[in-house]
Amino acid sequence: MMQRRLRVLLLVFSLVILQTTIVTHLHVFGAIPDLLLVATVAVAYNGGPQAGALFGFFSGLVLDLFLVSPFGLSAISNSVTGWAIGTFQAGMAFQTRRTQVFLAALGGVIGGTVFMVVGGVVGVAGYLSLYSVQVIVAGSIWDAVVSVPIFMFVHWALMTEHLRRY
Amino acid sequence: MAFVKRNVRWQPILVVLLVTALLLVALDQRGSGPITAVKRVAREVISPVQNGVNSVFNPVRDLFDGVINYGQLRDRNLDLKRKNEVLQGKLLRERAVGSKVGELEKLLDLPTFEDATGVAARVVGGSPSNFERTVSINKGTSSGIQVGQPVVAGAGLVGKVTAVSRTVSTVTLINSSGFGVGVRLENSNEQGIAEGKSGENQMKLSFLTDVKIVVKKGELTFTSATTDAVFPPDIPVARVVSSQKLAGALEPTVILEPVVNLDDLTYVKVLR
Repeated sequence: MMQRRLRVLLLVFSLVILQTTIVTHLHVFGAIPDLLLVATVAVAYNGGPQAGALFGFFSGLVLDLFLVSPFGLSAISNSVTGWAIGTFQAGMAFQTRRTQVFLAALGGVIGGTVFMVVGGVVGVAGYLSLYSVQVIVAGSIWDAVVSVPIFMFVHWALMTEHLRRY
Repeated sequence: MAFVKRNVRWQPILVVLLVTALLLVALDQRGSGPITAVKRVAREVISPVQNGVNSVFNPVRDLFDGVINYGQLRDRNLDLKRKNEVLQGKLLRERAVGSKVGELEKLLDLPTFEDATGVAARVVGGSPSNFERTVSINKGTSSGIQVGQPVVAGAGLVGKVTAVSRTVSTVTLINSSGFGVGVRLENSNEQGIAEGKSGENQMKLSFLTDVKIVVKKGELTFTSATTDAVFPPDIPVARVVSSQKLAGALEPTVILEPVVNLDDLTYVKVLR
C-alpha cells in the first residue's frame, strides 16, 4: 500500500512537471493535452467512479496551484470527469486499448465542458464562448493521443494489470 | 484490485468533493490570503525542477524550430533587415522632434515609459491550461518582480504579472479575455478600453470618450496617461485592423491587433 501511494505521488508530480513545462509548448488549434485529466480517466477506468472522483479532485487541486483561474476549478472538472468515466466504463461489456483512447477523448470533452461552464458561472470572463468549444474538441483529441503512455504510467502507479479485461 | 475501498458510498463523497471545491473557488475569488500563499509555496518548490526541465527541453525545441522553419526564418530575417533600415531612417528624422518633447516632459514632470526601470526575463513556457493566455518567465521576487507590474517586449505592451514566486512569474497576456487596458488613439487622442477577445489574437476597443470619431485602419493605440493607471503612458498596445459603425450601435466596433506577436515571445521586460 505504501509503495503504491509513493508511486501515485510520483505519477502526479511527474505529470504536473510535464504539464507546466514541455506540454505548454504543444499548442495545436489553441489546445494542449491535459495530462492530469487523462490520468484521472485512467484511474476511473481502473478503480471506478469513487477512485476517479477522488484522484480527479486531488490532482485537479495540485494543477490549480499553477493556474491563474480560480483555485478549485480543475478539482471540480476532474472529479466530475473521474466519476462520469468510472460510471460509464462500469457498464461496458469489454474493454480494449481502443476503449482507453475513446475514454480519454470523452474525458477531455466532459472535463473541458465542466471547466468552461463552472468557470463561466463563477464569473471568469470569456469562458462561455465558441472558441472554448473549439479548444475542448482539439484538447480532447490531444487527450486521446497521449492516453496510451499515460494509461501505462497509471497502471504502473496503481500496480494493476495493463488491460483489465477484454 | 480496487484503488479505494469499495464499501464506501461514492455519491456522498462526490457531493462533499464538489462542495469543498466550490468553497475553495469562492474563497479564491474573494482573494483569500492562505490560498495565494499556498500557491506561492507550491511554485517555489516546483520551480527548480521546472527550470531544469526547461533548460534541457528549450535547446531541443529551438533546434526543431530552426530545422522545421528554416525557410520561414530566412524570409523573416530579410524582412526584419528591411524594416530595420526603414526604422533607422525614421528614428533619425524624429530625433529632433523627440528632443523637444523630452524637454517639455521634463518641464511638466510627466512620467514616461523610459523612466521605468525594468528586469529582462526569458519566456520559459506558456499556460498549462487550455483556458488561459499566460506565459511563464524565469524571474521572480528575487529580481524584484511583484504582482501587477507591466510587462513589455521590444514593440510594445505584453501584459502584466499576475502570479509570482521567487524565481518564476506568470504573465497574463493583453489578449486574454477579461484583460482591459486604458488606451488613447494615435490620431485623435481619444481614450477607450482595449479588451481581450475570447480565443482570438485580437482585442476590442470599447468605451470611447467620443463615439463620433473616425478611427482609421492602421492607427496605433498607446497606454493612456490616467490617474492610478496600472501601465505607464505611451506604451504601444495595438493597431486598428477594422472599424465600422453598425446601424443602431452607440459606438463603432473597433478591432485591434496587438503590436507584439504574443504567440512568439522569447524575451520580455518587466517594468518596475
